[in-house]
Amino acid sequence: MSRDEQGEGGGEDRVLVAEFALGLLDPAEHEVMRRRIAADPELRREYRLWRGRLGTLDEGFAEAAPPAGVLERIEGRLFPAAPAREGRARLWNSLGFWRGLAAAGFALAIVAVGVDLLPRPPLTGPELVAALEAAGSDVKFVAFYDRRAGTLRLAALSGSAVPDKDFELWAIEGKNAPISMGVIPMDKSNVAMPPSVKQAFGPGTVLAVTLEQKGGSPTGKAQGPVVAVGTAMAI
Amino acid sequence: MSQSTAEIDELIARTALRDRAAFRALYHRTSAKLFGVTLRILKDRAEAEEALQEVYVKVWQRADRYAAGGYSPISWLVAIARNHALDMLRGRKPMADDLDAALEIADGAPDPETAAIGQGERGRIDGCLGELEADRAEAVRGAYLDGYSYEELAARFDVPLNTMRTWLRRSLIKLRECLSA
Repeated sequence: MSRDEQGEGGGEDRVLVAEFALGLLDPAEHEVMRRRIAADPELRREYRLWRGRLGTLDEGFAEAAPPAGVLERIEGRLFPAAPAREGRARLWNSLGFWRGLAAAGFALAIVAVGVDLLPRPPLTGPELVAALEAAGSDVKFVAFYDRRAGTLRLAALSGSAVPDKDFELWAIEGKNAPISMGVIPMDKSNVAMPPSVKQAFGPGTVLAVTLEQKGGSPTGKAQGPVVAVGTAMAI
Repeated sequence: MSQSTAEIDELIARTALRDRAAFRALYHRTSAKLFGVTLRILKDRAEAEEALQEVYVKVWQRADRYAAGGYSPISWLVAIARNHALDMLRGRKPMADDLDAALEIADGAPDPETAAIGQGERGRIDGCLGELEADRAEAVRGAYLDGYSYEELAARFDVPLNTMRTWLRRSLIKLRECLSA
């Protein structure tokens, strides 16, 4: 027995802390003990010791696959304004699909560097893809535009959200001023296309992501640094 | 730190920065373990699923406090799931958030006795449980893994309630001595 274990009261408290950690106390006793532990560094130390030791029993909890749809319900509670994801096509949620698309996008982006000075290639199909990235930034997006459906889909490949800031997406046609397409999440999203952007969107349209204040640039003009940029290519 | 521990660590850190993609990844990475916890304790799929939702809501809200506790990431997550399931099971009031936080915060330097766990001293509690009589060790495991109360343990081991209470309290004292020896 170690020296500090000899005090009678201390011994009793230690058992109480162990019972608390195991969850054996009745609700009233549990509440009293919780307040005592929160207020007393000695008891807190004892609690941490039990939690650490008992934690090695965690391996005894067998994994069990939760039912489908739980994550969506959690997100629905945490982010009520977030668009519902449950109805999304399976392909859209497939990481393999996005990895493949990203690879295709980057390959095309590399080709694009070489052909930049040549006349724009003729439209070869209704789908366009753009890989968005920038030197010195770990933020990478891939954008996929279906001209027939008129939908622009976006997915982050890397990078993470910045506290108190938002990413804003811009479309640029030639020498025209960038047109805001709104704030985008660090996730997959469908981007609403302003009619002017939709009309002009084609091979050569540049998409850029800037880091803006929360809620996006208040002026309608990009103010923050460009963290990713890419040119739409027909595929 | 193992690769998967480092990965979960990183996901919790990014969740603390309100990174929803990281939160989703964290869910995919850890939900089977945490559902295993809530299901084993609540023994009812619908209740276990409800608990799982609450647990990840808490994970999102408390991710910024994770680093302060000094626990391994999976142990931190399991503790949230286990405590929540026990709150439901015992009809306890949900923990007031600030009070809960006070319990979790490490005081000063990492506690050597707690820190040692992170260094793979897995066998130790098993060894110490092994020094107890078999049914008493089972009672401790039952309390931790199944969330059994004294009443349930007494019924399962077919002994009077006070006997079970005495058994288990003595076992905990022995365990404490063994673990800090």
